Amino acid sequence: MDTLDYVIETTALTKRYGDVVAVNELTLKVPRGGVFGFLGPNGSGKTTTMGMLLGLVHATSGQARIFGDSAFHPATLRRVGAMVETPTFYPYLSGRANLRYFQAIGRRGSPADIDRLLRLVDLGKRADSKFATYSLGMKQRLGVALALLGDPELVFLDEPTNGLDPAGVVEVRELIRELGTGGRTVVLSSHLLAETELVCDNVAVLSRGKLIAQGTIKELLREHDALRLRTTDDAAARTLLGTLPWVEGVDQQDGTLLVAAPQARAWEVARALADRQIYLNELVPVHRTLEEFFMEITGTDPNTGREKS
Amino acid sequence: MISNIGNLAIWEWFKLRRRWMLWILLVFALLFAQLAVWGAFFSYNGVKETGGELTVPAALQQQQGRIPRTVRCNDLLSGDAARQPADLDSQVVAGLTAQCRQQEAALPARLARGYSNFTLPGSIPNALGTVQTLGLILMAILTASAIGIDYGAGTLRSVLTQGTGRWPYLTAKLLTLAILTLLGLLVAVGSVAVSSTIAAGLAGAAPAAVGTAATWSDAGTALFKAWISIIPYIALTAFVTVVARSSAAGMAIGLGYYFFEQLIVALLSNLFTWFQNVADFLLVRNISAWTGAGGGFPGGAPLPEATQAIVVLAVYTLLLGGIAFWLFERRDVQGATGGG
Repeated sequence: MDTLDYVIETTALTKRYGDVVAVNELTLKVPRGGVFGFLGPNGSGKTTTMGMLLGLVHATSGQARIFGDSAFHPATLRRVGAMVETPTFYPYLSGRANLRYFQAIGRRGSPADIDRLLRLVDLGKRADSKFATYSLGMKQRLGVALALLGDPELVFLDEPTNGLDPAGVVEVRELIRELGTGGRTVVLSSHLLAETELVCDNVAVLSRGKLIAQGTIKELLREHDALRLRTTDDAAARTLLGTLPWVEGVDQQDGTLLVAAPQARAWEVARALADRQIYLNELVPVHRTLEEFFMEITGTDPNTGREKS
Repeated sequence: MISNIGNLAIWEWFKLRRRWMLWILLVFALLFAQLAVWGAFFSYNGVKETGGELTVPAALQQQQGRIPRTVRCNDLLSGDAARQPADLDSQVVAGLTAQCRQQEAALPARLARGYSNFTLPGSIPNALGTVQTLGLILMAILTASAIGIDYGAGTLRSVLTQGTGRWPYLTAKLLTLAILTLLGLLVAVGSVAVSSTIAAGLAGAAPAAVGTAATWSDAGTALFKAWISIIPYIALTAFVTVVARSSAAGMAIGLGYYFFEQLIVALLSNLFTWFQNVADFLLVRNISAWTGAGGGFPGGAPLPEATQAIVVLAVYTLLLGGIAFWLFERRDVQGATGGG
């Protein structure tokens, strides 16, 4: 891909807070168009990275570029919409007045867009109520509307479904999917991996400030496909399969062997075992979900949702 | 860039005018302006009616232990026995009468000065003297609130991601506050003009002019000086609010510093003569020196010259404003810190 095909490029981007490295030499490329998932456990550096891309946080070292320009350039930011963490608005202004204010200071689109956006996020009826009176879900939806002001080419959405009811989650998911069409790029950070899997084309996974995986969801999940086996001698099978160069790992799970290997090589697994007089009782291809993949590569404890130390 | 700052300033006004605080502060400014006019009016009427009043201490009264009372010079000088204070010793009355005779010579000038204080254009410098002092406090509150809300509510993040640029945003805020200060003073002056016209009508004929009366040029100068004197105080409050990322800190320092400095100057100037040299470079003293207000707590030393004062105020404005801008530009933007 040409450089211009990437809307975001970071090179060895690093942010330190004293001894703590929040983002560690992050080199990332986000292709133009579609929905890009930015994943990682809490504290993995997602929001800090977004902050550096949006000119809110100064990088300790490295570079962050949006559309090939410095992230601190106001003209660059005018092409970007963002909702980072909790949406922040003036509590004494109404939802409409808040959008009008941000539309005017950023010179984004026209005032007529505000009504359209308020309807889009289902806030038409409460548009003239003060922001301070909004529920968490309403605040979140107003944040999405703010991110869409002026029809930006690149939209950052950090946990956009926080506080939404199930119907709201579905609406926002559909909206994100729609936004990702027509050349616009949406960078979606979410801890709801099932949601992310449904809308994202590409993802990057951060853990402890480092990029640990990037690619299309299909590629990443394919790379991490597995085969579940039951054999006549699991111990011997485990030793044997562990020596094969294309097997990434063999684990014993619930009385079966989980073999990290491409599913297209299932027949080779069967043959290698048979050559040593080990016979299969069962061979099942295992398709992992994004959530399982994420838990595995980030070392996240599925019970607590936190990275294992 | 200028158009960006202009646009941001217009929209800063959009936010500020929707806050009750702005209008409450304006009401306070207007009340104090009115207080200055009507205070001067009632004081003038009192002097005109009584010819001046003298306080008789309890010790000079025939019935010891009574609270101090006042006597009117017009009564004492009337020669009318019925109007003489019956409860005072004749010697005391004679002494008071002599004092009133002395005052009588200065009475026309006093009346002319009093009349000028509540009629145009002299009422404007008179009222601005009061409004300017209050204005420092009011603008400290408004500045801390206008800048601090972006930290408290976390809106700075939403603002900066719109591509406004950091220093244009802070410039627009300070510019708006400076313009609002001027507009607030003009509104106060307008209200003074209305009440002065009414008060002049109620007061009747003007006393014979004695001495130099205030001119419209004096009124304009007083307005300009009052406005300029508040700007360094806005810079001080902006500096504290940005450093502490808190409107509460900005308000506390903005309000407290005004009294703290005067207290310290009054105390230390009496204790250490060298402190007078330090005091001549302190903010509030130079504000008082620039406006020509007496100011200061009792015991304070004479104020610096106005020329020195404006230079010192300019240095304060540039220094405090410069550090505020530098920090605003350099710092990472965090989420909401709470408060407003």
